[in-house]
Amino acid sequence: MSSPDTTGGTARRGFLTSAAGAAGALALAGWTATAPSGASTPTGTTAGTAVGSATGTRPFRGRHQSGIIDHPQPYAAFVAFDLHPDVDKDALRRLFVVLTDDIERLMAGRGSLTDQETELAAVSADLTITVAVGARLVALAGATPPSWLAPLPAFSIDRLEERWGGGDLCLQVCASSPTTVAHAQRRLIAGLVTLASVRWVQRGFREPFEGPGRPMRNLLGQVDGTIQPAVNGPDDDLLWCGASAPAWLRDGSALVVRRIEMHLDTWDAVDRHSRENAIGRRLDTGAPVTAPAGAPAETAADLFAKDSLGFHVIDDGAHMRRAHATAPHERFLRRPYSYDDVPPPGKTSDSGLIFAAYMADPVRQFVPVQQRLAEKDLLNIWTTPVGSAVFAVLPGAAEGHLLGEALLGL
Amino acid sequence: MRVRTLIAGAAAGVLALTLTACGSSSSTSTTSTPSASASTAAVLTLQDGWAKSTDSMSADKKTMTGVFGMLKNTGSTPLTITGGSSAAGKMVQMHETVMNSSGTMQMQEAKAGFTIPAGGTFELKPGANHIMVMDLVKDLKVGDTVSIDLKTSAGVITVTAAVRAFPGGSESYNPSPSMSH
Repeated sequence: MSSPDTTGGTARRGFLTSAAGAAGALALAGWTATAPSGASTPTGTTAGTAVGSATGTRPFRGRHQSGIIDHPQPYAAFVAFDLHPDVDKDALRRLFVVLTDDIERLMAGRGSLTDQETELAAVSADLTITVAVGARLVALAGATPPSWLAPLPAFSIDRLEERWGGGDLCLQVCASSPTTVAHAQRRLIAGLVTLASVRWVQRGFREPFEGPGRPMRNLLGQVDGTIQPAVNGPDDDLLWCGASAPAWLRDGSALVVRRIEMHLDTWDAVDRHSRENAIGRRLDTGAPVTAPAGAPAETAADLFAKDSLGFHVIDDGAHMRRAHATAPHERFLRRPYSYDDVPPPGKTSDSGLIFAAYMADPVRQFVPVQQRLAEKDLLNIWTTPVGSAVFAVLPGAAEGHLLGEALLGL
Repeated sequence: MRVRTLIAGAAAGVLALTLTACGSSSSTSTTSTPSASASTAAVLTLQDGWAKSTDSMSADKKTMTGVFGMLKNTGSTPLTITGGSSAAGKMVQMHETVMNSSGTMQMQEAKAGFTIPAGGTFELKPGANHIMVMDLVKDLKVGDTVSIDLKTSAGVITVTAAVRAFPGGSESYNPSPSMSH
């Protein structure tokens, strides 16, 4: 799916090294049980484990929010809110008081203050709730939104629906149990009912048994999100807003949520060889089609290899070639989830990908990649973006502080 | 029955304390503070205290609110709450749940107040024992706090509750708790 590919390309050796390092970092950070949980990350974020546990918890307090660089839990809900029209700066302060308290309690498995279903809350299941804000909320707080905090430019492939776009506030709720996600979502919505109303909810899932040898696969069957920026330091300037960002955003990030509908009926008609050609990767391992059979997914692609007829082995329109970063900054952390909803009348599926990605600056990092995909990507035949939203992810809250405290100037 | 409730309450109190020690302390808005008029250091605290907001009530119900949480007596003698006052409302009462003659659970004033055993806890929750602030004189907005000066056998002790949206707590009362109605 709309994902940058950072393998391959002999022209940028330094960049290649970085990509290889990123792959290694991902293996260390996410997919092994020996991940150094917190030991080398004073940021408060931890690697998490591939397979969740009923009472597992991830830290709420820290420099960055959880739910970004930690291992994606298998179940997610992205909940976008519209602030009520009468919400002013004081109401925003009260909103963040409630959110901070509710999230800290829920992530600890304690339930929110008004929670009468504390047995549901007790299954913390690696719950993370990550708070991001839209431009209107930032302005209401009296701050200046960063220039990228706006709808993405229109892409030719977009068929965006209003019901999957925009929002003043977005909560990413992720856990290893779908019941935990549902309960947290319910408590968060109910807690904010006097201040904000639900604009849209996108519920998604990943393979609960993701792990070594079982990577994230989207519903096209494609290995997704293999190569990522390093989450242990070297690529921090790609992940987090830094010194040039306003104080309220420093150590925060940007969240792009795009809903990509998959046309599975026509995809069904495509044989595996043609699918691999469209993607540029092998379906079994996720490795580039230029890699030998059995090679790992993160094997570098040879974008210049040609077949006996002189055509590129990796098709000129292959998704991975078009998504391939042409500069080191064209990379971002993808944390995607599949969706599979009720087929509308006359259709056989309503399936796709909730493309969720974190980065310091979407316009600089994401837009060039998406522009290339819009111009030419064989996968566009079977996929259509139907939703798009951009949010500013708040930095983490230190002990004794509120989320959004710096934004409100408190 | 009462003993069992207290034991359960005490266990919950210990859990909350353990979590706090692990660095997952709740927001300071829900911890109680001793008032200036308290005769001693606060031997009574309200843990995880919260009150129903008026902005989550229908217009005709904005006259009173319930306060919930875990009362904890850290002293070495039993402590009784006999009443209280609050800047938020004209009257503060302790309420309990009883079954009326028709078999329906009803709220009524606990005339004897609430007694919290030495070193023990006393749970306030919707549909059971709770503190009522009545004849409210201002809106209680979600995310704000409400303070109550509790009149106790150990002097006046101020506790603070976080105001939250809550659709429950609209039980029937016997008699009507608001004298003005």
